[in-house]
Amino acid sequence: MLKLAARSVGRNARRSALTAAAMVIGLALLIFSRSLAEGAHEQWITSAIRIGSGHVAIQAPEYLESGKLEHRIGAVGHERALRAVESVSGDQVLAHTPRLSVDGLASSAASALPIRIEGVDPEQERAFSDLDEKVEDGRYLEPGDRLHAYVGVELARRLGLKVGTRFVLTAQSAAGDVEGQLVRVAGIFRTSIPEMDQGLIHIPIETAREWLGTPDAVTTVAVLLATSRDTDRVVSELRDALAGASDLRVLGWRQAAPELDSALRMDDYGDYVFHSILFAIVALAILNAVMMSVLGRRREFGLLQALGLTGAQTGWVVFGEGLFLTAVSGVVGMVLGFLFTWGFFRNGLDFSGLVESEGAWASAGGMVDPVIVPTFHSSQVLLSLYFILIIGTLASIYPALRASKLDVAEAMKFDR
Amino acid sequence: MSTLNAGPLAVRTEEVCKTYPQDPNPVQAVRGVSLEIESGDFVAMAGPSGSGKTTMLNLLGGLTRPTSGRIWIGGDEITDMPDPALARLRLERIGFVFQAYNLLPVLSALENAEFTLLLRGVPSAERHRKVRELFEQMGMDGLEDRFPGKLSGGQQQRVAVARAVVGEPALVLADEPTANLDSVASAALLDVMERLNREHRTTFVFSTHDPRVMERARRLITLVDGEISEDVLRNRVPA
Repeated sequence: MLKLAARSVGRNARRSALTAAAMVIGLALLIFSRSLAEGAHEQWITSAIRIGSGHVAIQAPEYLESGKLEHRIGAVGHERALRAVESVSGDQVLAHTPRLSVDGLASSAASALPIRIEGVDPEQERAFSDLDEKVEDGRYLEPGDRLHAYVGVELARRLGLKVGTRFVLTAQSAAGDVEGQLVRVAGIFRTSIPEMDQGLIHIPIETAREWLGTPDAVTTVAVLLATSRDTDRVVSELRDALAGASDLRVLGWRQAAPELDSALRMDDYGDYVFHSILFAIVALAILNAVMMSVLGRRREFGLLQALGLTGAQTGWVVFGEGLFLTAVSGVVGMVLGFLFTWGFFRNGLDFSGLVESEGAWASAGGMVDPVIVPTFHSSQVLLSLYFILIIGTLASIYPALRASKLDVAEAMKFDR
Repeated sequence: MSTLNAGPLAVRTEEVCKTYPQDPNPVQAVRGVSLEIESGDFVAMAGPSGSGKTTMLNLLGGLTRPTSGRIWIGGDEITDMPDPALARLRLERIGFVFQAYNLLPVLSALENAEFTLLLRGVPSAERHRKVRELFEQMGMDGLEDRFPGKLSGGQQQRVAVARAVVGEPALVLADEPTANLDSVASAALLDVMERLNREHRTTFVFSTHDPRVMERARRLITLVDGEISEDVLRNRVPA
């Protein structure tokens, strides 16, 4: 029966080729678009978490909800968190950095604006974030800096700041008093992310600690991983390592940056809709081809039953044809999709012509480089293949049922 | 009704009717046919187009169900036999030869001829031996690997006959087997079928309006408007 099914596919070469082409193109497109989406997501995540709180953030338990300085990590907790990070197995941890963050006000002679002030270790921050590469004017913070600030381009514009200009930061200290700190602009950055460019300031962490009365404290130990896919595993390891530390909480980036998680989920949803349409087209192509095959070969199937095949066996022959076509096309489509994507776009697909001004898309606290490098996940590729096989199987069921319920005498008269 | 009780029966029908539903008036293709055919007989059913010949063969082969009446094949009643059992009976006891050859186009001549043996689970070597022997007897040796599209009409029909008889069925039903053949090919085909009938005592029932087939038949049943109008014994070899 398998031989009969396989030969029938081969005999109707044009019809089989058209069906196979629909599946091959469908699957190849699917793999191409999935790998691009994965690549864009990875860039987006990496960008957002580098400026934000990392793939993994270690904070005081209440800090995520309150964002207040009173929920900070002390020297002992900080030391314990660092030991835990350094004990993570493998080489997934690329960098980690301490942050002391507080909401405050930036004031100049021109205006006063609400901002997010991040106290950072300039050296560790350089290894962690790429904010130092976004210099528009001046420079990033350096070790030994004391009263220096690195500000966003939009904030600088609205406060009338230039490199070397002094302005005042105001925030509530650990003691609950409102304290001011005079700083000087060391550099101005442009990320193309509006909320960063108009609302973020980096100052040296020692300056922040002294000003806010929190010696040796941090609000977050941010951990950067090689890939976001390692997040759950590293979170789990760190939670185990810090199981006894009730003053510390380990968060993955989805928890620490829920707005990024939501944005990615929405983007994924759009992908699912697109892929569903693609799958539907492929399914209709298969259904059409197999149906045409059955309708055009009623007499042949009638003959099989006249010779002694049961209706069910005849149905299996048709079903086998559908499966055979699907399996061959699925494998070819997967290989072609991979080769096409890897062969032409392994160095990235350049969408810069679609970007209006700043050379990147910004959303949900992250940036996506207009040159998107496709990322292949074997699980995604196998999932696509799996879905195509499922669709091929489902699309073959109805024609198989039609063939199995054939009126043999009528079928033998057909096309006489 | 014609009754010939000279030997064991290959086929028996009792008041068989077949009506096809059709608006506004249903078509009565077969009207109360009662018939007995002995094992080893060589029977032609003749009659004009629409007389019910093909419907009668379909009924005898279990390809369609009678509207009323009963049918037996070799002693087993097939009137209400379940579909899988009927398929099994066709596979093991009935061979079909159709007017339009009806070979499976994706199989070679040998594969077509051995198809029913394959379905019966006969080992490959035995299948090939039987088909090759038959092909040799039918002057088809050397054509085993050809696909139907590369065979002439007469060659295709001989492959169809080989497929029908290779499993040594008790009954072969042939629906106008010579309709698409020239006189030479028709004569050759009839020779083959006569020899198989003689050597294996296979019962042959043809539907035909080809005088060459009628001449060779040992019993000629004429159908008109779905009823037997004449049933004549001829060409009988004295016992």
